[in-house]
Amino acid sequence: MTQRPTRTGELLSIDGLKTHFYTQDGVVKAVDGVSFGIRNGETLGVVGESGCGKSITALSVMRLIERPGRIVAGSIRLADRDLLALSDEEMRDVRGNAISMIFQEPMTSLNPVYPCGDQIAEAISLHEGIHRREAGDRAIEMLSQVGIPDAKRRAREYPHQLSGGMRQRVMIAMALSTNPELLIADEPTTALDVTIQAQILELMKALRERNRMAIMLITHDLGVIAEMADDVVVMYSGKVVESSDVNTVFEQPHHPYTKGLLASIPRLGEKRHRLEVIQGVVPNPLNLPKGCLFKRRCPSAMPVCDTPPPLQEIQPGHLSRCWLTPAGEPPEIGADAEAETAVAAAAALTVEA
Amino acid sequence: MEGTQVTRIPGGAIPAVDEVDLTPVRTYWQLVRQRFVRHRLAVIAFFLMAILVTAAIAIPLLSGDAWKETSLERINQPASLTAPLGYDSLGINTFARLMKGLQTSLFIGFAAVLVIVFIGVTVGSTAGYFGGWVDNALMRVVDIVLSIPTFFLILMLVAFWGTGNVWVIIIAIGLTGWTTAARLVRAEFLSLREADFVQAAKALGAGDRRVVMRHMIPSAMAPVVVAATLGIADSVVVEAALSFLGFGITPPEASLGNMLTKAQDYFYRNPLLAWYPGITLVLVVLAASFLGDGLRDALDPRQRVETN
Amino acid sequence: MARYVVRRLIQAIPIIVGISIIAFFIVYSAPGDPFDRFRSNKVSPEVIANLRRVYGLDQPLPIQFVKWFTAFWSFPFDNTAWGFSITDGLPVRDKIFERIPSTLQLMGTSLILTIIIAIPVGILGAVKQYSIADKVIAVITTIGYALPTFWLGIILRQIFAQQLDLFPLFGKYTFGKEGDILDLLWHLALPAMTITIVGVAGWSRYMRASMLEVLRADYIRTAKAKGLASSRVIFKHALRNALIPIVTLLGLTIPTLLAGAAITEAVFSWPGLGYLGVSAVTERDYPVVLAFAMIGGAMVIIGNLLADILYAVVDPRIKY
Repeated sequence: MTQRPTRTGELLSIDGLKTHFYTQDGVVKAVDGVSFGIRNGETLGVVGESGCGKSITALSVMRLIERPGRIVAGSIRLADRDLLALSDEEMRDVRGNAISMIFQEPMTSLNPVYPCGDQIAEAISLHEGIHRREAGDRAIEMLSQVGIPDAKRRAREYPHQLSGGMRQRVMIAMALSTNPELLIADEPTTALDVTIQAQILELMKALRERNRMAIMLITHDLGVIAEMADDVVVMYSGKVVESSDVNTVFEQPHHPYTKGLLASIPRLGEKRHRLEVIQGVVPNPLNLPKGCLFKRRCPSAMPVCDTPPPLQEIQPGHLSRCWLTPAGEPPEIGADAEAETAVAAAAALTVEA
Repeated sequence: MEGTQVTRIPGGAIPAVDEVDLTPVRTYWQLVRQRFVRHRLAVIAFFLMAILVTAAIAIPLLSGDAWKETSLERINQPASLTAPLGYDSLGINTFARLMKGLQTSLFIGFAAVLVIVFIGVTVGSTAGYFGGWVDNALMRVVDIVLSIPTFFLILMLVAFWGTGNVWVIIIAIGLTGWTTAARLVRAEFLSLREADFVQAAKALGAGDRRVVMRHMIPSAMAPVVVAATLGIADSVVVEAALSFLGFGITPPEASLGNMLTKAQDYFYRNPLLAWYPGITLVLVVLAASFLGDGLRDALDPRQRVETN
Repeated sequence: MARYVVRRLIQAIPIIVGISIIAFFIVYSAPGDPFDRFRSNKVSPEVIANLRRVYGLDQPLPIQFVKWFTAFWSFPFDNTAWGFSITDGLPVRDKIFERIPSTLQLMGTSLILTIIIAIPVGILGAVKQYSIADKVIAVITTIGYALPTFWLGIILRQIFAQQLDLFPLFGKYTFGKEGDILDLLWHLALPAMTITIVGVAGWSRYMRASMLEVLRADYIRTAKAKGLASSRVIFKHALRNALIPIVTLLGLTIPTLLAGAAITEAVFSWPGLGYLGVSAVTERDYPVVLAFAMIGGAMVIIGNLLADILYAVVDPRIKY
């Protein structure tokens, strides 16, 4: 079993994470062997269509997976701590403190019956052990830091009195109030208007500089990735299918799925008759295809794709889960490969269990 | 997301095309059945209700007048094969009487629900279809009916208009119980009125009556069926309470309620007499409510409150 | 808020008129009249005719209605506003008001017990969903919910009063002990237990459903992501939200507080309003029956209004 090449200075390391849901109809392998890392101060973009397991990966890091879901294998380390080995109490101290999380739906992510300021102050007084009153003042300070005018008054208002963009700012203020080392942002701008989206992204960038924190940015929007991310992980049906730095992914994508995603972004100044969209739909998680999970939708599908492709290192730091050669050609074993040959070839290429 | 993988064409080299997801399309009723069968308690309730209904019809039919035949020799005789629950203080076969009482109760329950559905659908569809002042006026009537405590209203109707008369009881329960059904149908109609298929039918020149009867009522029936099933439980209990207070079915006719009242008088000799009709009543209520829950999940998944 | 309440009360006027018309005509246009039972006896027809005239039964219905309805509203100042009882000739208003304390004692006790038991039980069921505790609670509450109140009352009386002889069979006081609080509680036990058992079954199921829905909310995930202990997540963040529909339900329960326990009161001969209503129907005591129907209707209207006001109190999103 070859390990994923670890890079120095990783803040968060996820290895072979499997989070499965035991439903009435069968086991849904929402996250099935995912590995990646985030360095201190780095922003990692996690991309994929809805249902690919990116949010579940984030919730696994927070250990907020609810029944019928369960983390069944793998390890998640934050600096030198094994998060999956922590007691519930120790984990609570990590949540909202070392790792904070903001969610997709600012409209429903704040408790409707408590004033915004109190909800921020609650996190502060919990983790910093300071008094409610002092925490209240800090909350107001955080609100003005995230660009909320008249913060003192806003702190006393209830969530329903604020707009969506304002609420997301409150969420960000809450998440950053304890100076986390890692911020997990799950589709932070998806539910917002385009102009508000830009403002929130700007805010996150500014705060990232100031607080020197790492960000795990989950999105299905490659525009957001291009704007924010240093490195990118592309997920499909619970697995990482490609990962590299942001330039490589945008300039030299290897996996046909990544290529499809990139082709589906409209670009200014480019003459195309129609937007290319990946055909078909994400496979039913209860009935995944044998072999490559993307083969039914893949324009380059070959018989060898009936065997699960390995995650191969295309070039240093660039991984792709596809049978295509690094140059993007069908492999020699391609056209009519026997399973055994394919498995042997896979073993040679695999960089991961 | 109900996908089943389809057999692949052997030797096919173009997987993207031949592996199209060919999940068989299920009809509405197949889906309904599937969702209902998955609700285990509802299936049990269905069989329980079937057994209760069958017993209530068959046993009085087979045992003739046993439910009211008194006999001096058999007074307080213990249980036997022909009288599994023994004989009461008048020498009547308790089991036979219980089944006759169940028959009366179920008949009243089902008949009252039919009245409820009839009034509810009529009022609800009229209000929802025409809207405007018609809707307003009918909804005020609903408010008024809802504002008189239901049981007391039924009690007044039955006591003053025909104590002991099965039909008065049925109509009284019906006249007071239709508001829920009316509201459900009205809500359904208000949204259906603008639905494409109704607009299409109107555009094709279908008259009001035809549009309502052929197109809208069938679509609005799901929540009504659910409410009606749950209503059976309520109606049976109301009948028992009326009979218990002496306004419902009066002896010698049998009903679960008047068996309970009579059991009061013979408590010291046979305390179990109060349990038989009560437990039968509870079984009917349980069967009807689980059946209702199952039907709600099956017919009208949107209404589902709690997911597993 | 005040304007809202006034508007709602104005809207209630046609409903009250509607209730009074329906109740009046159900009662007075029914076949027969309260004096029928005297006819076969040795009472002369002249006496009955006289009684009918005294109670105004000889006049046309619409006139009887208008007289009754207009007189009805002077009840705060006039104890004869609701007429006189046919059974004992006492002013109806006094007969009804005299029953209110008993009903409040029974229903108040039952409601408080119900809430104290049902809310923790509902929370437990929701928080430990699918656990053994949840399943046991589900079975018990499902059966409890299916129990007809009056049958439960009969069975409890049979077990605890007749067989075990722990509690009295009926009534509010032992003869000669009127006003003794311990004697009152002793008599209260069984009827209150009856109403509480059925109440707990319903309310705890409602509480569980409400809590389950809240526990799935995004803001609960936010609270957990903050690192809060689960007790704080449940009791601070979830409970406050889960109680919103419960508080509304409380308002809607007000009418049943006064009239809904009629059968339980009848089973235990508890001298409350409900029992008075049932007896009045039995004896065809028309003026009492009508007053009772009007009070019931008023309670429903007030209860609905109270539910809406409470809703605005507990939920900062609601403003009138």
